[in-house]
Amino acid sequence: MMRNQTMKSWRSAEQWLLGSMVLALAMAAFIWLVLGPAPAAPAYLTAVVLLIAALLASLIMMLRVGTTRRQMEAVLHGRARAEQHAIEALRHSEAQWKEVFEHNPVMYFMVDAAGIVLSVNTFGAAQLGYSVSELLGQSVLKVFPAEERHVAQSKVAICLENIGQTHSWEICKVRKDGSSLWVRENAKAVRRLDNQLIVLIACEDVTERKLAEDALRQSEMYLAEAQRLSRTGSYGLRTASGEIVWSEETFRIFEFERAPSVRLDAVLQRVHPDDRVRVQQTIDRASRDGKDFAHGYRLLMPDGSVKHVHATAHAVTDAAGDVEFVGAVTDVSFRKRAESELHEAQANLAHVTRVTALGELAASIAHEVNQPLAAVVTNAAACLRWLDREPANLKEARGTLQSIINDGNRAGEVIQRVRAFVNKTADQKAPLHINEVVNEVISLVQHELFSHRVALRLELPPALPPVLADRIQLQQVILNLVINGIEAMQPVKDRPRELVIRTRLDEASQVLVTVSDSGIGVAAENADRLFDAFFTTKSSGMGMGLSICRSIVSAHGGRLSASGNAGPGATFQFTLPLHREDST
Amino acid sequence: MSGRPASPHTLTSAEEPVVFVVDDDASMREALSNLFRSVGLRVEVFGSAHEFLQSTLPNVASCLILDIRLPRQSGLDFQAVLAKADIRIPIIFMTGHGDIPMTVRAMKAGAVDFLTKPFRDQDMLDAVTTAIERDRVSRDEARVLSGLHARFATLTPREREVMALVTAGLMNKQIAAEIGIAEITVKIHRGHIMRKMAAKSLPDLVRMAEMLGIGPASGRQQT
Repeated sequence: MMRNQTMKSWRSAEQWLLGSMVLALAMAAFIWLVLGPAPAAPAYLTAVVLLIAALLASLIMMLRVGTTRRQMEAVLHGRARAEQHAIEALRHSEAQWKEVFEHNPVMYFMVDAAGIVLSVNTFGAAQLGYSVSELLGQSVLKVFPAEERHVAQSKVAICLENIGQTHSWEICKVRKDGSSLWVRENAKAVRRLDNQLIVLIACEDVTERKLAEDALRQSEMYLAEAQRLSRTGSYGLRTASGEIVWSEETFRIFEFERAPSVRLDAVLQRVHPDDRVRVQQTIDRASRDGKDFAHGYRLLMPDGSVKHVHATAHAVTDAAGDVEFVGAVTDVSFRKRAESELHEAQANLAHVTRVTALGELAASIAHEVNQPLAAVVTNAAACLRWLDREPANLKEARGTLQSIINDGNRAGEVIQRVRAFVNKTADQKAPLHINEVVNEVISLVQHELFSHRVALRLELPPALPPVLADRIQLQQVILNLVINGIEAMQPVKDRPRELVIRTRLDEASQVLVTVSDSGIGVAAENADRLFDAFFTTKSSGMGMGLSICRSIVSAHGGRLSASGNAGPGATFQFTLPLHREDST
Repeated sequence: MSGRPASPHTLTSAEEPVVFVVDDDASMREALSNLFRSVGLRVEVFGSAHEFLQSTLPNVASCLILDIRLPRQSGLDFQAVLAKADIRIPIIFMTGHGDIPMTVRAMKAGAVDFLTKPFRDQDMLDAVTTAIERDRVSRDEARVLSGLHARFATLTPREREVMALVTAGLMNKQIAAEIGIAEITVKIHRGHIMRKMAAKSLPDLVRMAEMLGIGPASGRQQT
């Protein structure tokens, strides 16, 4: 524009200058001619000619100048148009780039070495809830939360130290309204033409990805935490390679160093030697059949401690057609320990009640020992008399001594039985005949039956198959039921007191033992509570007897129950599964 | 049920006495049997009171050794059963643990002895000797009495009447007046009575009358 105006003014000035020069010359010649000393002299004519020639020359000059000027103007005009075009193109391009710069969904910042925002695009400012002008000239730290500022500063510092290198990082920014957004920043320090050091930063909003990542991380953390709490680790086993992938908790359970994967062989080395073959077989079989499996086994730790674990696995077939197992392994040591402690407590309680029961049976037991002792003493006296005879009757004496041995042994057996009964022995399950056990118990309660005037009837069919049971515990159950039956008949005066013990094989091929009395029976409201601990209808007694009996029978895989008789009294019965050769 | 120990027929006290043992414990039965055999006593053992009652018992001096503690029926109850059935056999009780009320009850009911197991053999043998002796005496008494009864049964009603008055200490004359017959007839009756009753003297007859329980009030009691 400026150039155009200058050109126009220049053209008119030139014309005016030329015109006025011609006019001035013409005026000077005219004046000189009119007022000169010799207007008709040749010199005068010469002068006129010269004047006219000068005028003509001026005119020609003016035309030439005009033409040249037009030509120049044409050239100048063309150039201006070209320039105009170029400028237009540039302006267009700039607008386009500005458009890109302003609205490309990337936040652009340009900051100086001190972190003052030199430039920011509209998108960038808008993403942060600001207008461009609100950010320009401000410290870029304004868009970072307090806790991220030093990170931002250090990142910029790194860029400044490595001019021309691109650095990228993820950082949290804060909007004008206080909400935060996660960005991935790519930054680079460059030196401007004016030698100023600036940092160019392009940021991309990654909040959504970050949230998804956080959610995933959170979920993983929850899972890991849940695994830790439940002591359950997960694993994946590729049977083809014998390679196992473990979760964090699985590593913790097996006490292995964390690694991307472990070898099945190494894991088997951690399995308790007594369980190793079985575990190997289970896995081999499952791998071969491609079937789900579950098994429990022990781990022997390097410090010698033992862990009980239970593992389950689901079989899947991978892309290559190989069987792969996805499973979970739970550390059940705590439960095992609690179970064994419970078991021990129950055994202790059972023992205490056994001793208590025996205390109540003291008179019976004394009688059972006294009986053979009396026979021994009597036989010994008789033996002396046989020997004192003239002649001594050695045959009779020998026979008598044999009786003494038998009776002595019998007394010893009673004591053995009592001792075994009060002994605190661990479970010793063995195949045994139920009728033998019943008879052993009966031998201890003879006196009790007698002193309570109770008639005992036994219906013990021979040839019942054996059951797998702990003899002492079974004796305890039967003894308890017998004593209960005797006590239940104590108030009975108007009818015979009869206790019937029967054994038989029931429909489910289990040995069934019933103890029936003709006592006071079981009140309907007490029927459900009979087997509860500390429930008793007796003035003396802890109320533990039946509760213990039930737990003993349950531990043998049987069931203890009570029912009222059709007539007077109650019947207690329990079942025991038969001993099978393969059940051990 | 003939041949019960106390049945008053055909008694022969000369026969060997028998010891009966009732105990449910086989070893104790055998031990007692052994002991009695070692001193030459005849012995028979039973496992229960019922078995004892079912068996045919020899009619000799005997005693019963009974365990207080028997299944179904205690020794004391059995003692009562025997008494009720008029089976008067001396009983020696054995018990595992003697308690005083039981002992008292047994002794009151006529037990010879009450021994606590284990007992001294001599105590048992002494008790058995005593019991058999007691049984022999009572059997002798029973036999004498039953002889008397038999002889008394041969008397006519009038003779019984006269015997009652004679043994009450009345003179012949008083008797004649009492029952309204001649004195001579009284004398004849007396002679028959003395002969039939095999009385050696009047005091002898008086003792017989006492044993028979004959008093002056009635001439016909106690058959």
